[in-house]
Amino acid sequence: MGDMVFYLFALMTVLSGFFVVFSKNIVHAGFSLMFTLFGVAGLFAMLGADFLAITQTMVYIGGVLVLVLFVVMMTRIPAQNLPKSSFNRKIPAGIFSVLIFAIVFKVIGGTEWNVLPVDAPEATISMIGQKLLTEFIFPFEYASIVLLLAMIGAAILIRERKIDDDEEVQS
Amino acid sequence: MFVNITIPNWSDFAHFVPEAIMFGAFLLALMGDVIVRGRKPVVPFLITLLGALAALYYSFASPPVGDAGVLGSLVMIDSFAGFFRIVFSFVAVVTILFSWSSEEIMGSTREHKGEYYALIALMTGGMMVMAEARDLVMLFMSMELVALTSYVMAGYMRNSLRSTEASLKYVIFGAVSSGIMLFGMSLLFGMTGQMTFVGIRDALVANPVNDLSMLVVLIMIMAGFGYKIAMVPFHFWCPDVYEGAPTPVSAFFSVGPKAAGFALMIRFFFTVFQPIVDTIDWPLMIAILSAVTMTYGNIVAVKQTNVKRLLAYSSIAHVGYLLMGFLLLTPGGLQAILFYLLVYAVMNLGAFMFVSAINNSIKSEELSDYAGLGFRAPWASVMMFIFLVSLVGLPPAAGFIGKLYLFTEVLREGWYWLAIVGVLNSVISLFYYMQIARAMYFEKVPEDAPAVKIAPLHYVTMALLAVPTLILGLYWSEFKAIADQAIAGF
Amino acid sequence: MTFVTDSILSWVTFLPLAGALLILLFARKDNIARLIAMGVAVADFILSLHLWFHFDNANAADQFTELVPWLANGKINYSMGLDGVSLLLVLLTTFLGPLVILSTWSAIKHRVAESMAFLLFLQTAMIGTFLARDMLLFYVFWEAMLIPMYFIIGIWGGERRIYAAVKLFIYTMAGSLLMLVAILYMYSQAGTMSLDGFMSLNIPAEQQMWLFLAFTLAFAIKVPLFPFHTWLPDAHVEAPTAGSVILAGILLKMGTYGMLRFSIPLFPSAAIEFGPWFAVLAVIGIIYGALVAMVQKDVKKLVAYSSVSHLGFVVLGLFSLTAAGVAGGIYQMLAHGLSTGALFLLVGVIYERRHTRLISDFGGLAHQMPVYASIFLFVTLASIGLPGLCGFAGEFMVLFGSFSSTLLPHAKLLVILSSTGVILGAIYMLWMYQRVFLGKLANEANQSLKDMSLREIFVLLPILIFIIVLGILPGPFLEKIEPSIDRLLTPVLELRQETPADHHITIPHTNESHDSQTEMEIH
Repeated sequence: MGDMVFYLFALMTVLSGFFVVFSKNIVHAGFSLMFTLFGVAGLFAMLGADFLAITQTMVYIGGVLVLVLFVVMMTRIPAQNLPKSSFNRKIPAGIFSVLIFAIVFKVIGGTEWNVLPVDAPEATISMIGQKLLTEFIFPFEYASIVLLLAMIGAAILIRERKIDDDEEVQS
Repeated sequence: MFVNITIPNWSDFAHFVPEAIMFGAFLLALMGDVIVRGRKPVVPFLITLLGALAALYYSFASPPVGDAGVLGSLVMIDSFAGFFRIVFSFVAVVTILFSWSSEEIMGSTREHKGEYYALIALMTGGMMVMAEARDLVMLFMSMELVALTSYVMAGYMRNSLRSTEASLKYVIFGAVSSGIMLFGMSLLFGMTGQMTFVGIRDALVANPVNDLSMLVVLIMIMAGFGYKIAMVPFHFWCPDVYEGAPTPVSAFFSVGPKAAGFALMIRFFFTVFQPIVDTIDWPLMIAILSAVTMTYGNIVAVKQTNVKRLLAYSSIAHVGYLLMGFLLLTPGGLQAILFYLLVYAVMNLGAFMFVSAINNSIKSEELSDYAGLGFRAPWASVMMFIFLVSLVGLPPAAGFIGKLYLFTEVLREGWYWLAIVGVLNSVISLFYYMQIARAMYFEKVPEDAPAVKIAPLHYVTMALLAVPTLILGLYWSEFKAIADQAIAGF
Repeated sequence: MTFVTDSILSWVTFLPLAGALLILLFARKDNIARLIAMGVAVADFILSLHLWFHFDNANAADQFTELVPWLANGKINYSMGLDGVSLLLVLLTTFLGPLVILSTWSAIKHRVAESMAFLLFLQTAMIGTFLARDMLLFYVFWEAMLIPMYFIIGIWGGERRIYAAVKLFIYTMAGSLLMLVAILYMYSQAGTMSLDGFMSLNIPAEQQMWLFLAFTLAFAIKVPLFPFHTWLPDAHVEAPTAGSVILAGILLKMGTYGMLRFSIPLFPSAAIEFGPWFAVLAVIGIIYGALVAMVQKDVKKLVAYSSVSHLGFVVLGLFSLTAAGVAGGIYQMLAHGLSTGALFLLVGVIYERRHTRLISDFGGLAHQMPVYASIFLFVTLASIGLPGLCGFAGEFMVLFGSFSSTLLPHAKLLVILSSTGVILGAIYMLWMYQRVFLGKLANEANQSLKDMSLREIFVLLPILIFIIVLGILPGPFLEKIEPSIDRLLTPVLELRQETPADHHITIPHTNESHDSQTEMEIH
């Protein structure tokens, strides 16, 4: 049963991932991304990482993806104007991808992983909370700085530039 | 429900004085910039300058804690971290001072002048933390903070349409390389079930992993570091970004994040792989990377006509030299790297500063516009000549001593061909560095050459760099001792 | 004065540097810069005379030694010393110093202060190279020579000065970096940078080979030995007179000095094994240099190629590994420094007047400039080794020493070949003299030429005196260097006595080497 569910989620993740990459229609691609993210959330849930699964759903699907779709819809890129990658680029890219896949496959198959015994699922939220405020207090605080920077950086980058842009257009 | 937890020692926060100062300066500078608006961002400048000076003071004053981790063993403040605190706060002081008179930063068309200083302060703090991380979580987060800051700086402080492309390249390459690195880290975690460097090492010694998997993990993690330090083949962003960004920013980029990358790389690889260095082809891999990096950087630099771009490629070549000390992960080699980083910071910053100071007044970075500069701006050119001699690695400048230690270590470890490659590269580098000296001194001053006027502050900062470049070439024992002690603390 | 005499070597070395700084900081006017430079150079010469008079001839070891701990807990020291070989070369340097500065009085007109500073800086580096007894210190001085030379050629040189300066810089730097690798390797073995520490290393023969080659290659480029000589004509032709004089007079001696001081005593077995090859190159250089000099149209280039030929004798003498040959080599170094230095000064005199050096532009100058012509003739005769002048004793001793050498295979053949160099030397020098000075004063531009001024004569007079002194009184000079030469050759001689059997194997055997040798000459 557990295996069945795992394969279901895995298949969903991989297939929709393929679709994201190969779809010509950017809206479709955005929607398939949702399934990819959802599949990953499912895998987290299966591993007993309930907090991660919820976060994945809320942040990525509820937040990031919605924003992506908003942007896609507002910019109205005509479907036929998508940049086409030529055939002779696809071949090396394909070979390279297969090669990387083979290597990673071999590594994952050939390594003895440090596997933990499966315990009964347990709610992890409070545990994570405690860890974050004790053992991981430094990265926790540090993350706030990173987020602050991300916010300020985004604001700086987005803010309209007057003089510089004019010069750039001319040059 | 309640797991067994260790309450952290809150007073441990007291060990982070320099970092706290830099982060505080970042926030205060931002707020100050909003409150006091003027033609020139005096408040952010003063706040960050004083902050960097205070951080420099406390880097000397606050003693390293030693082997034990601070605040739950994710970061560690040992003499190694202390060494890099000194380097970074010094670099910050010089860059902030220099930027104040730089037209490229403070020119009338430029916006967000206040944020510039704030971001420098933030990045300095982030680099310090990079040198302290001893856990995969902190490794990644500290690298991301520095990377994000540099994206922002490269992104909005740009001079042309071309540099827009450069900054985009920067972001995309950065994202890919940190993704690869993250994947490698997750594999490593899967193999060992550990997050701290020490834990990973113990697990790897206890249960060796097969060679192929180890190699793949190594390469993946190396990709992340390689991007940070601009090592071939992860260097593509480097010349474009350095050329596109204002020169003081390029100067800061070429020294700060690079040294921070090396710091983290040294701590990570030395802790994790030092005991098992013989089981993998580590020395050969590093030797090839080092040889390729220095040769590529030098050969491409020869063809450059833009001085800034030339220096960008030469900074890639210097990464190649630095990697020579990484061969066998011996303390001697790492000490040589640390010392060279110190020297490199001083001399490379100086060379970039000169380019910027000249650009201020003649609005050009082209080699052909440097004709006769030695007589148009004698004192500045003399200092530039000192930096160039040092970058080549000629006595009696500091660069010679830095290379001396690196080559000695390579020879001690028996990698003769690498030493020969390094030496031949020095000859190539001599050629293009001397192109600059040649333009400055041997070519006639053109009739219509604009007058060169160099801001007093620029003289001060360049002298602040030129004097150590000479002193470190003649008497370096004390500084080498600091570098040695930093590694001994491992 | 004891504070000077206690550390006399440092005073002699760094006095010019102090003068250079003084000029850069305070000399605003050209003539003041010249006067300061002149004063400093003369003072340095007087100081160095102290060395001559207080030198203990019987003592083979380094004298006037200074040792100050410098770095790395005594592994690297500021260590200076002086033996007979260094003594003569230092004196040659300090002797030529003031003359060179005097010769620039009218030749260098722009950026005078800088030129004086560079000349003095160069002098410090050269003296330091001869005196350093710590390998790092030696290397620092060795490389420090390049920078002022680069500027002297690059700023005050002729038309293609930039090309010549860059070529000189890169050639010599490439060689010396290989030497640096060898030094660092030995440092990692010995754990000290002191020359004595290096001497006491017992290096296995196969490693000696690589180290010897690395060192000797660096020196061979500096000498310059055929086929590493291509930078020399460019540098000489483009350099200003002062630069040429220093280049020919002293800088080239750095290479041969380095072979004698480092290559031979540090790596005796490699010196026995590979020395003959360098001797063969030297002989090729002697003949090649002479032949190429013969066809030159430019007087300065002719003198430059004659240097290749003369320095070949020095190298041949050194690698004969006999006391007489080495002594002759050193003597030839001094003689060449004087006579070629004088020749470059003389070429400078005419170049300053006519701004050309082509032989075809002259002819019959003896009518117009009798003093100049007679001095030139005198120096020419010294250069070709007329008995009684300085060039003779050195060449003779080299040939004599090589002839009797037991370590040099085919010594007799080499000597015979190289003595053709002497004959060729006489031919090209006298032929050049004939074309420039004898015959009719054909070129109209030459008819208003003025003879040498008093200052120009005064520059050359001391050199002329010493050309004679060295020619008739070699004794006082040779007795200073003989004990030192014995000491430098000791490792080689010891090795030969210890393993007479090995020695036969290590040197190339008769037939083989004969073939390869003739092969190389054909190339």
